[in-house]
Amino acid sequence: MSPEDFDRLQSLMASRTGYRLARDRMKLAEHRLGPVARREGFDSVAAMLAALWSKPVASLGWSVIEALLNPETWFRRDRATFDTLATELLPALVRARGGQPIRIWSAGCSTGQEVWSIAMAALEVGAPVEIIGTDLSHRALEKARSGAYTGFEIQRGLKAATMLRWFDQTEETWIARAELRAVARFARANLLTPPAEDVRFDLIFCRHVLDDMQPAVRGQVLDQLERRLVDDGCLFLGAGERIDADSLAFRPVAGRQGLFVKAPGSLRRAA
Amino acid sequence: MRRCAERASRTPRQRKCQVTPRTCLIVDDSRIIRKVARRIVEGLGFEVDEAADGAEALTFCAAVMPDVVLLDWSMPVMDGLTFLRRLRDLPGGDRPKVLFCTIETRAERIAEALSAGADDYVMKPFDGEILSSKFAEVGAV
Repeated sequence: MSPEDFDRLQSLMASRTGYRLARDRMKLAEHRLGPVARREGFDSVAAMLAALWSKPVASLGWSVIEALLNPETWFRRDRATFDTLATELLPALVRARGGQPIRIWSAGCSTGQEVWSIAMAALEVGAPVEIIGTDLSHRALEKARSGAYTGFEIQRGLKAATMLRWFDQTEETWIARAELRAVARFARANLLTPPAEDVRFDLIFCRHVLDDMQPAVRGQVLDQLERRLVDDGCLFLGAGERIDADSLAFRPVAGRQGLFVKAPGSLRRAA
Repeated sequence: MRRCAERASRTPRQRKCQVTPRTCLIVDDSRIIRKVARRIVEGLGFEVDEAADGAEALTFCAAVMPDVVLLDWSMPVMDGLTFLRRLRDLPGGDRPKVLFCTIETRAERIAEALSAGADDYVMKPFDGEILSSKFAEVGAV
């Protein structure tokens, strides 16, 4: 891969996904694109990229984009988030919604571990929920929908007792039980594109997504999230992720890692 | 028993931070697994001791109860499950967090280990991220 190729990949990622492909990721990009080139029938990454630049962005372009996104996720990542969810937010929302399902969006769900972590927390406290996980990557969503994880993946973040309670063992994998699947669905969505539906959510999880995005689009994405969140809803970002000057839509909740609520200005606008 | 050889090399700063360092006993008949696990567990801030089978581990625990035991299942002399049951019968033996760490991955064997008093269960192969998340989930770190 030439430096020019990498420059063009950087612009491709920025324009289509808002993803910030840092220059130190060049080796990693080359490594990730190898299997894509083989799958798509090219002799080399360079040959695939040459073909990609000669045509408008289509399925090959999206295969390349998917391979370069950061798929890192695990069960109960930032554990405090799920403790706050189970012990404070869900019980409060159950009372406030009077038994109506609590609508939850996992924005940038990658391979689904976050969705199942939310589902387990909800079912364990008896909260009725409808969870939708969205991601840009078809391949990640395919895995999320399968609900199947290797021994290596399943135990990252999950206690064995929890694993046995919510997952069935097959020959090679551990698969999410029907009870979990019944409360979750998955769909492809680009956080840069305004959504087709007008559903609003009680809780939005968008964790470790914004930190990988171009500063210029972070505010735009946060404003979209704000529009999809009910006025008394909550947003979770990843532990350590901050909003700063990106958007005035949210304010952090003191003492609760990664938790944000709508800023007063957003409430007025919504009203 | 293989005593921690690196204590002497700790810097004064580290010693100051860890007034009462937490301890972990790694029980595995494979020297390589012990070495890999030791590196990870020391990275989590523990002082590590090692034992090569359940009997050796039990002798150790009868003298000095560790905070955490990382326990293989199949070992010569005394296996992990037998060790665990005897440990829980010792005075203070309910205190250590015990994490099985074994190649045995069948759900019914995992359930058996948990009902025998294991706090958690790590299926080999594992890595540092898995181990540190398991330590966090049982409240050891």
